[in-house]
Amino acid sequence: MTISEHLKRSALPGMAVAMLFALVLGSWLFGAEMADLHLQHRQRLAVLQANALVLAVADTDAAGTRKRVGEMQKLEPRIESVIIVAGPQLLASTRPGDGAPRQLKREEKPLYDLSNLIRTARETNRGEEVVRKKTIQIDEMPSGRLVVTLPYLSGGEFAGILQMQFDGSGYPRAAGDTFPFPILLLIAALLAGAALRMQTQKKVDPAKLIALVAFLLIVLFYQQQQIGRLEQVVKQDNRAIATQYLASAEQLDRLGYLPLLRDPAGVNHWDTDDYERPRGVIAADGSIAEEAETKQLARRAGFIRPILWAIDLFAVAVLLFFLYGYAGRAYAAFREHIYAYIYVAPAMIGMLVLVFFPFSYGITLAFTDTTLFNESLPFLDRLIGWGNFKAILGDFNIYQDTAEGIIWNYQNFYWTLMVTVVWTITNVVIGVSFGFILAMVLNTEGLRGKAIYRVLLILPWAIPNYITALVWRGMFHPQFGVINQVLQMFGLEPVAWFDGVISSFLTGVATNGWLSFPFMMVVILGALQSIPKEMYEAAEVEGASRWQRLRHITLPLLKPTLIPAIVLSVVWTFNMFNIIFLVSGGEPSGANEILVTKAYKIAFEQYQYAYAAAYSTVIFMILLVYGFFQTRITKATESF
Amino acid sequence: MANMKTRNHIWLHLGLISFTLLAIYPVLWVLALSFSGQQSVGLIDLPQDPSFLERLRAILPVPEHWSVKNYTEVWTEQQFGRWLWNSVVISLMTTLLGVFLACTAAYAFSRFRFPGRNTGMLMFLVSQMFPGTLMLIPLFIIIVKQLELGNTYLGLVIVYATTSIPFCVWMLKGYFDTIPYDIEESALIDGASRLTIFWRIILPLAKPAIAITALFSFMTAWNEFILASVFMESEANYTAPVGLRFFVGGFSSQWGYFAAGSVIVSLPVVALFLQLQKYLISGLTAGSVK
Repeated sequence: MTISEHLKRSALPGMAVAMLFALVLGSWLFGAEMADLHLQHRQRLAVLQANALVLAVADTDAAGTRKRVGEMQKLEPRIESVIIVAGPQLLASTRPGDGAPRQLKREEKPLYDLSNLIRTARETNRGEEVVRKKTIQIDEMPSGRLVVTLPYLSGGEFAGILQMQFDGSGYPRAAGDTFPFPILLLIAALLAGAALRMQTQKKVDPAKLIALVAFLLIVLFYQQQQIGRLEQVVKQDNRAIATQYLASAEQLDRLGYLPLLRDPAGVNHWDTDDYERPRGVIAADGSIAEEAETKQLARRAGFIRPILWAIDLFAVAVLLFFLYGYAGRAYAAFREHIYAYIYVAPAMIGMLVLVFFPFSYGITLAFTDTTLFNESLPFLDRLIGWGNFKAILGDFNIYQDTAEGIIWNYQNFYWTLMVTVVWTITNVVIGVSFGFILAMVLNTEGLRGKAIYRVLLILPWAIPNYITALVWRGMFHPQFGVINQVLQMFGLEPVAWFDGVISSFLTGVATNGWLSFPFMMVVILGALQSIPKEMYEAAEVEGASRWQRLRHITLPLLKPTLIPAIVLSVVWTFNMFNIIFLVSGGEPSGANEILVTKAYKIAFEQYQYAYAAAYSTVIFMILLVYGFFQTRITKATESF
Repeated sequence: MANMKTRNHIWLHLGLISFTLLAIYPVLWVLALSFSGQQSVGLIDLPQDPSFLERLRAILPVPEHWSVKNYTEVWTEQQFGRWLWNSVVISLMTTLLGVFLACTAAYAFSRFRFPGRNTGMLMFLVSQMFPGTLMLIPLFIIIVKQLELGNTYLGLVIVYATTSIPFCVWMLKGYFDTIPYDIEESALIDGASRLTIFWRIILPLAKPAIAITALFSFMTAWNEFILASVFMESEANYTAPVGLRFFVGGFSSQWGYFAAGSVIVSLPVVALFLQLQKYLISGLTAGSVK
């Protein structure tokens, strides 16, 4: 019996492959969840201690703060060091040789920046009365170290930040997976598969039905058991954190720094999420709030269930694929075309891994709030849904009407969109007009030296555009630039090109105009040369004027070439990163940024990866809409 | 009548010459700067209150003193040689990898009718629509942060090669389609294997198209700035574009080194471009109509 025959008759291969899919994907998911829980456990423990520190020093003076911080660090050996930064000052530090209080050093500026970042995040959350920006920041270091930074409060007001380094390496992983268990299930499925023989002829085949039911039972049993294990771990973690909380709180109570609340209904401000909101699972007296814990479990299950359903659906599809003989046919087809698949595979794999995977990764990223600072957080904690898109598209704070006139908000998406549209239109119009005029001139009959002009005029296109951009940046230099020299030569004042919104925009337009007219020129010239001369001659005989010939012969015949060229150059200009980025850099204060440079700056200067990904997704949507109309326009012109 | 035509041409020539001078002025300016032997952005030190003629002299693209100092020092004093080497290696590796991947895929798409063929070709076309910035952030996170391939040749090469694949595949497929199938058929009858046919018959026949795709891949990698600036953080690993920006971006302004470096980097691509422009144009416009 051939393999392909075998695939059609026996339920065994289908069972095996589908079960492997379900089990491998399932254990990957549960493994990731376990790792996530483990991470969260460590981070919660660290945040617990950091919150305790902040609460304990909230009502004392600077000297008292230093004393308390020092003593508390000794109480808990896993707290490796604590520093408090207030404004430009290092207020307290337990690191030996730090000598607090003192001014921050130059190389410690990141701490100052971080303090401002957290302050703004807090203010945003307050101002909007929604919790959007995280105010507690957790960095995972190598070797299981955690650095927690959170607002340091004095008298209930934001006064700076407290940064604690915590040794989180000492926690054993949750009890290892019961490894033989999935294998036992797999064997059960294989036995069931081996026992079943299918009749290929019949549509309703009891063997297929039994196989399906057996498969579903085994898979659902496995998944239920794993969810149970997850819940177990969540509960264990809560209890471990509660124990830790009680131990630490009692110590602080004894020292008189922070009274332990013995009220079971009291709010526990130690165990908070990254927005400083109490989780509410552990009460102030260290007992577990059952109701809140049930909610916590439901939230986790609510995240995991849809994924499990997707896996189940997929696995069942695979099983049916095998049971109904498609696998056998696919295998036969694969054998038949094996050469083709081998030839295509390398390129296809490359594209999948380096184009399509990053693409979907980017889209997923857009629905989180990932930044450089919270990458290590569990994925579930970063997921925020449509928040980024609402922030980008729903922000209509485009200008402010003040007494001194209108102040535009250059950071707003719609401002940037407007700049981009104006930028694109201006450049395409300039490119097409110059290209058209030059092409008409070069197409003059009997003109000598055409080839030389053509080569010289093509040069701007041939030079790498980043070099062009930097050269023009030099020529627009406000002090020594050639362009200002020319202005002064004719008695005009020099212009500080990059300081004004309009003048800065013009630098970009000049540069881009310079490098984009040759393309249009060459394209139009090619099209002009393909117009038969007889048409003009006939028109001339008929007495058509120059204008009439242009209007009724040249332009209609250029259209099929011109429209694709314009369509292409719109996309190029829209995405012309190098010119904006290298000539004006979007100066002044981001007013001349176009969408793509703005996305870049959000990602690599503000480190807001997720926000930038959402921004790019919006750009992609705009291009998609444009592409849709473009194909319609091109189709319409083709029918001419 | 004839007299009028010539006069028209004189005006046309005047217009064309002045426009051409204006258009190639930046090029002349960079050349002058590169041979000026100094680093400032102005070609000439102007006196306190310069006259019209002195200013005119300052904008003329002719250096005050001719010197090749910038060209020699950019190799000896600066790391430019190293950056150029990085660019050469990365571009060559990209070309090799890109052309290999594109050739095999294009051959299969051209010669075999197999299930999934149309989907595959559509995938290549669709991927062209993904904007660079949308890819930049995930690629940065995946390649630099997760795979830790930042500051390596490999990281840039695999990204460049895959981004150039779709264009190359479509271009090569078009060319393979024009090679008659009879040749292969008779070779098959003679007992040649598919691999032999691909190596011994198809590739030699497709040499011109392969050369164009190779040059296209090479130029993509050679001129790329954004990904390289994000991937290559340490100075020793810069590619030429990132290095040239380094000369004049931020706080440094070594315009002389920049100019000399730019001339060195541009010369090969400009020469290639002028040779190949007609293929590029037909390729581009054909692609956009499809």
